[in-house]
Amino acid sequence: MNSALRNAYFIFSHSLNPTSNPNSFPLILSLHSLQSTAVSRLPLRIKRQQQPYRSPRSSSFCSSSSMAGADADAPAASSSVEKQFVDFRAQLEDSGSLRDRIRNVAMEIESSTRLMQASLLLVHQSRLAPEVLEKPKAQVGLLKSLYKRLAEILRESPGLYYRYHGDWRSETQTAVSLLAFIHWLETGELLLHPEAEEKLGLNESDFTLDVEDYLIGICFMSNELPRYVVNQVTVGDYDCPRKVLKFFTDLHAAFRMLNLRNDFLRKKFDGMKYDLRRVEEVYYDVKIRGLSATRD
Amino acid sequence: MFYATGFHKAALMAAKPKPQLLHKVAGTAVESSPKRARTLSTQSSMKDAFAKYAEYLNNLNDKRERVVKASRDITMNSKKVIFQVHRISKQNKEEVLEKAEKDLADVTTRHVSRLVNELQGTDFWKLRRAYSPGVQEYVEAATLCKFCKTGTLLSLDEINAVLLPLSDPSLEPLQINNLDYILGLADLTGELMRLAIGRISDGELEFAKKICRFVRDIYRELTLLVPHMDDNSDMKMKMDTMLQSTMKIENACFSVHVRGSEYMPLLGSDDPGSFLSGVPDIEL
Repeated sequence: MNSALRNAYFIFSHSLNPTSNPNSFPLILSLHSLQSTAVSRLPLRIKRQQQPYRSPRSSSFCSSSSMAGADADAPAASSSVEKQFVDFRAQLEDSGSLRDRIRNVAMEIESSTRLMQASLLLVHQSRLAPEVLEKPKAQVGLLKSLYKRLAEILRESPGLYYRYHGDWRSETQTAVSLLAFIHWLETGELLLHPEAEEKLGLNESDFTLDVEDYLIGICFMSNELPRYVVNQVTVGDYDCPRKVLKFFTDLHAAFRMLNLRNDFLRKKFDGMKYDLRRVEEVYYDVKIRGLSATRD
Repeated sequence: MFYATGFHKAALMAAKPKPQLLHKVAGTAVESSPKRARTLSTQSSMKDAFAKYAEYLNNLNDKRERVVKASRDITMNSKKVIFQVHRISKQNKEEVLEKAEKDLADVTTRHVSRLVNELQGTDFWKLRRAYSPGVQEYVEAATLCKFCKTGTLLSLDEINAVLLPLSDPSLEPLQINNLDYILGLADLTGELMRLAIGRISDGELEFAKKICRFVRDIYRELTLLVPHMDDNSDMKMKMDTMLQSTMKIENACFSVHVRGSEYMPLLGSDDPGSFLSGVPDIEL
């Protein structure tokens, strides 16, 4: 009832358009009579009247006409919009499939480094023997071939190295940390950035090892040192803490040369001092009991 | 020793921004020369290597800082353009949009151009997080201007065509990537919502309806793209806000539609007096 009246009012005002034609008069009459009598018949009448008496200005208010307007405009407007988005979808699907391929290689790298890590854990269980390092070192070749595959995939889309960097970043950091640890166990020296690149086959002009990834990898390696020292002393290598402490102090001093910003690398570097302190403690414990006296 | 002092002097004379690093590099050179005979080669080679990393990181961080600053300037000035567009009304449409376009061109030449040199080669993607917010805001401002003027969507190719002349031919031109464009579009709906509400209260209902259809089109198209975006979660959040904005416009249009008859005659002031002059007719 309420809405019926409202509609009536609506039509009523429409009909009072300045450009109104003679036909509006009968309508007004009919409304007058309707107000007093049969309200229930009103909607029917309006439906019939609505179309012919629509003025151009009021068309936007009228549901039927505005729908028609939308239908007329929409295809034209959205086809230009649509074209671009079809292209976008194709482009994004392409980069998505490229990303999937990269992720697949990254997963293989991950499982390879995991094998390496597992076999390298044996260094904590006995005094260092060259045989222990054979197994982890066997993975290096595989790792290199995986990075070669990654380089080939990325060569297809030059300049996009860093777009997908996040997908294999942490795997690379782990790989660097393991390689650096093996290198240190063998030579007692730090694996430098060009050497790490060499080992991973990342020394091509367009596919290099990111310096930050390298540094984070080195930080990961240093996390391993306190545990190594503790276990070496336990199996009777009392000279180990001195060597590790010397190396670690130098490494920490070298890291202090870097101006870092508040990122992950900074966090890892800040954590390094606790590892260093732990190594110092072990060295102190050994030294104060005269266990390392023979070689110092 | 002469070598060492020469190096030190050079360090002092060198550019100011990072005196600390240069001093440290010089320091190691001074220290290591007498000691070198005694200490192991490891230490100095480690320090040399880290001096290189330090330089690399300093350059990278300086560059990132410059990009972030440019991005902030782009954001700030693009916001101003957007505010300018919101000053639109029935009477001053051309004038307002003209100023907005002038300001936008100013943003392009003064601030967006600063990114061109910094984002050569792989840096374009490496530093994306640093410049992305600014570029998104810029896309938002540019598309809003264009929509108000022509009622169409400014495409990525059109934006990139504007950016082409910014760089000299020897450099790679800066081209906005489709991800930032899409994220910018997602933000655009929020501004369009404000615009639509403003237009409705100003009586420009046809314009508001046009905005409504446009926003729906964008929302529908973006729905298909969400799963393919690089950073999915960010986009999902934007989609939620977008739906909210779309619904706000729809609700406003609904209100006008339903109650339109009640205040339509007053709003339709372009043919004044139609309601009031009509009243006596009925009474008579």
